Amino acid sequence: MAALSYGTALRIATRELRSSLGKFAFVILSVAIGVAALTGVRGFSASFRSMLTLRARSIMAGDLSARINQQPTVLEQAGLDKLSGEGNDATQVVELNSMASSPTSLDPLLVSVKSVDPRKYPFYGKVELTPAIPLSEALTPSTVAVAEDLLMRLHMQVGDSIKLGNGLFRIVATVQNEPDRLSGSFAAGPRVLISEDGLTAAGLIGFGSRATRRYLFRMPQPRPGQPSSDQAVAALKTRLESTLPEAQITDYREANPALTTGLDNATTLLSLMSLISLVLGAVGVAMAMRAHLQQRLDGIAIMKSLGARSGQIMKIYVLQTLLLGLAGGLLGVLLGVGVQLSFPLFLAKLLHITPEFRFDPFSVAAGLGAGLVTTLLFSLPPLLDIRGIRPILILRRAVESADDPFLMRLLRKLRGNLAQIGANLLILVGLVFLASGVAGSLQGGFFFSLGLALILLILLGMSALTLLLLRLFLRGTRLHLPSTVRHGLANLYRPGNPSAALLAALGLGVMLITGVYFVQQAAVRELHISVDKNLPNMFLIDVASTEVEGVRKLLLEQPGVTAEPEMIPVINARLIAVDGVAAADLRVKSGPRFGPRDNSRPAGDRAPRGMMRNLNLTWAPKADQPPPGDKVSEGRWWTAQQAADSAKSPLVAIGKFPAQRLGLRIGQKVTLEAQDQQFTATLAAIFDTDSRHAFSRADFVMPEPVLRPFPAIWYGGVHCEPNATSGLQRALYAHYPTITVINVAATIEVVRQAILQITYVIQFLAAFSIFAGVVILASSIAGTRFRRTREVVVLKTLGATRPRIATIFSIEFAVLGLVAATVGLIFANVGARIFLHYVLKIDYHFQLGLTLFALVVTASLTIAAGWLASHRILGQKPLEVLREQ
Amino acid sequence: MPEVLNGAPASAPMISVEALRKSLRTGSTTVDILKGIDFAVAPGEFVAIMGASGSGKSTLLGLLAGLDNPTSGDVRLNGLAISYLEEDKLAQLRGRTIGFVFQSYQLMPTLTALENVLLPYELNDESGDRKAGLERARTLLDSVGLSTRVDHYPVQLSGGEQQRVALARAFVLKPPIVLADEPTGNLDTANGQHILDLLLSLNSQEGTTLVLVTHDPALAAHASRRIVLRDGLVVSDELTPQQATPGQGTGMGTGMGI
Repeated sequence: MAALSYGTALRIATRELRSSLGKFAFVILSVAIGVAALTGVRGFSASFRSMLTLRARSIMAGDLSARINQQPTVLEQAGLDKLSGEGNDATQVVELNSMASSPTSLDPLLVSVKSVDPRKYPFYGKVELTPAIPLSEALTPSTVAVAEDLLMRLHMQVGDSIKLGNGLFRIVATVQNEPDRLSGSFAAGPRVLISEDGLTAAGLIGFGSRATRRYLFRMPQPRPGQPSSDQAVAALKTRLESTLPEAQITDYREANPALTTGLDNATTLLSLMSLISLVLGAVGVAMAMRAHLQQRLDGIAIMKSLGARSGQIMKIYVLQTLLLGLAGGLLGVLLGVGVQLSFPLFLAKLLHITPEFRFDPFSVAAGLGAGLVTTLLFSLPPLLDIRGIRPILILRRAVESADDPFLMRLLRKLRGNLAQIGANLLILVGLVFLASGVAGSLQGGFFFSLGLALILLILLGMSALTLLLLRLFLRGTRLHLPSTVRHGLANLYRPGNPSAALLAALGLGVMLITGVYFVQQAAVRELHISVDKNLPNMFLIDVASTEVEGVRKLLLEQPGVTAEPEMIPVINARLIAVDGVAAADLRVKSGPRFGPRDNSRPAGDRAPRGMMRNLNLTWAPKADQPPPGDKVSEGRWWTAQQAADSAKSPLVAIGKFPAQRLGLRIGQKVTLEAQDQQFTATLAAIFDTDSRHAFSRADFVMPEPVLRPFPAIWYGGVHCEPNATSGLQRALYAHYPTITVINVAATIEVVRQAILQITYVIQFLAAFSIFAGVVILASSIAGTRFRRTREVVVLKTLGATRPRIATIFSIEFAVLGLVAATVGLIFANVGARIFLHYVLKIDYHFQLGLTLFALVVTASLTIAAGWLASHRILGQKPLEVLREQ
Repeated sequence: MPEVLNGAPASAPMISVEALRKSLRTGSTTVDILKGIDFAVAPGEFVAIMGASGSGKSTLLGLLAGLDNPTSGDVRLNGLAISYLEEDKLAQLRGRTIGFVFQSYQLMPTLTALENVLLPYELNDESGDRKAGLERARTLLDSVGLSTRVDHYPVQLSGGEQQRVALARAFVLKPPIVLADEPTGNLDTANGQHILDLLLSLNSQEGTTLVLVTHDPALAAHASRRIVLRDGLVVSDELTPQQATPGQGTGMGTGMGI
């Protein structure tokens, strides 16, 4: 028997497509939106991300930094030379305290000197000087740039000379901002920025001078304008750790955890969203194809009765599917490019950035391929159903064994349909690959696909169960219900209406859409907390106890200050013993892989040797609460009563990192010594610092009554509007000249802006996926309208008015929407919880109001979509349809 | 609606068709389906409209039922011009005035046999007397011999059974007019004969005006009057010889009025 030629099959396929292009517009749109999300969102987020990681790197001024407190050994230097010989750029930053004076007066001033190689430093970011001259021009062997308050204190101005060590240097500029201010030492005294040669000339680096050295590294860029990958950075970090075992090595990701976490979460979220858009698109395709084939039943039956084999008919519809997938994919790629082009334009005002657009043929091809493959995969089950169509259909609509429980039918179907199972497995495998590609990890893709399949199965089961229960209800109450309600409910059981599948698909859609919303909301909220406007951006160092109240008052009077200043008392103490074991004998665990989150302090602080020498002990402003920014991670904070009793039974709370380092457990006895007085306290709580509050500087907290007798040095943290910081600095200097002010407002502002940008992008893209999902779902509902046409006509002939029919349909859609929304929302909450907890590590709070709102919105949208779809049929003249039979 | 019948003088026609035209435009070509048709049907009359395929008989029936608007001309049901009524008004009128029997049954697949019969009642009855409606539906199903299948869905019924349900549905509201479009067209001879018998007996019981479209002369032979269409025009309109008693239906109708 001659096979149906591809030419003929194609002709039939295209003719059918052309005759009902309107209907297929939905299929094409579904695919297109999914593909657009995939290419556009991915492409945009990739360029956005690479731009933001550049910004994150600027906080450290390099990809990696290695900090050591002494001159590197010959061996270490050789290792460093080897590393920088491999294409890695390296430069050295030396920070030390010294005395400076004006040549005319001999009043010395403690300054914090920082020497850099102006040809290389900074690798990322920019040093802002006034006047705005390049750093290499400002820093010659005989010139320096200094902080403004140095000029104030020494009564000098730009152009004057300053005496530093053995040298005399001309001040050519003031330093407004250093990109790596947050990563450098928080040393007392105004900044003096000097070249390496200048530092040598001043003779400040001598034997025994306490200088901190930071080696900054910049790795070779894979492509111009694109930073090296995280894996490459991590690899170099490992090598550096073996080269400089004594050094504290941090990569740019650790320089500002809030920013990098935000960025990582955003990337994960965006992958998830684009993947979800594609899956929604696929669901739309599957539903549309099913509806389409349902309508073609007669035609297929006729062809079969004329001797066509299933394979030949499938050829037609596979071709049709491919054409649709291709059209959708092409449109999607165009849309995606449009999205990529228009997002930055749209957001430029909001973000003040314009990510560079790169046309990436690979991602276009990938998008097209994804569209084609998803369309084909998800259409497979309905296509395979073609084989089950019997020619008898022409003569008589097959009697569906609708009375079987759904599961029985499913089982029978599964048994009799190995090909279907194969197709579904194929879909699953395809999905795993697709998801892996999008998520960038096979594991992630695997979990996503498996989770989705599992949820879909559960959804199917739940939908079937709900329908069964509704049906029982209907059967029980049948004639007692108002007729419109009864008809509406009965419509759910329309023969050939895959209500369980439709419900499951709708439920899945609702789940994905609301899940995206829940997740993005939680992520954005978390990010907003991390950029709380009132976080300190000015730090005060060396405030005497007698000055604290005055400083607080002065700060509050300043115009740019928006929140109560944080004043933290610090008592120098030493660790003596844990549970009676002397500190020197403690077995110390190696530090956590990614190091402490706060890198503004020298490494020695946290090393046990350091703790034996010096640790920061403080008390919290409120007796029964941890200090601002600290969160209890283990144990319990003391009550006010316990605090009051603490003189007799002292308690202590210790930061997570030193506690981990010492291997401490709640209830252990920790012996500390301050001012030659020892006290043993019980470890009541272990807390985590957010490294953004002034209190993050103290890792040991005890109740105030224990510590009151000891002399304390105070530190302060205050938030000041970025444009008012110099006024605040001047005022502070005028009243308290001995207090050093470290202004990180500019850096914090960079971080804050970057994180806000991340939240905008997340929200924007979430809105896009949600919109896309709603469109796809609405079109799926609309796809069911063809089945209603005949009903409308019959009802009309029997005298039903349009409002009446609309009411019946509304009830049907409302039930559909409500059931799908309920099921979907349950899973959205569960899914969001799992995803937030395990992937983004964010707490999830169930929001009843939001969930109920989503329920109402989903039901209303379902009704609205149903109405829109039925509108035209309602207006049709009955005869037109009857004539078509 | 017996008052409609009782209130109408015997001379006033139940259906009157005046210069009825219908053209369909498909693309650039206009096809004239009905080219100006006039006739009147007295209350209780049983009219068969005959003609070959494409003669316009189904279109005519559709226009009689207000399922479509004519291009020009008018249809009056019991004196009321229906052709240009608003769609929803028309629907109500249809529901109360006309019972319809289709060639392909057109039962609602989601409703049981009983519910299908009850449907016009629920859609149009304003008395709110559900009990009476149910009673009536059961009686009718019983009279078409389906009392044991009231809770079956259309897919569970044979073609003949489905058409019997459709018959019951057409009569449930006691409409003054019943229109039937090839009611036996999809059925075998035995089943077709059964349906026809039921239709005739229901018609005589209820005293309705019956208009039947068919191309089957044997079926048309049962009618009291035959109108034959060809190419959109009435070519013959004559009383059937053996049953030339136009008043019969009216008499029975006024007499019964259950």
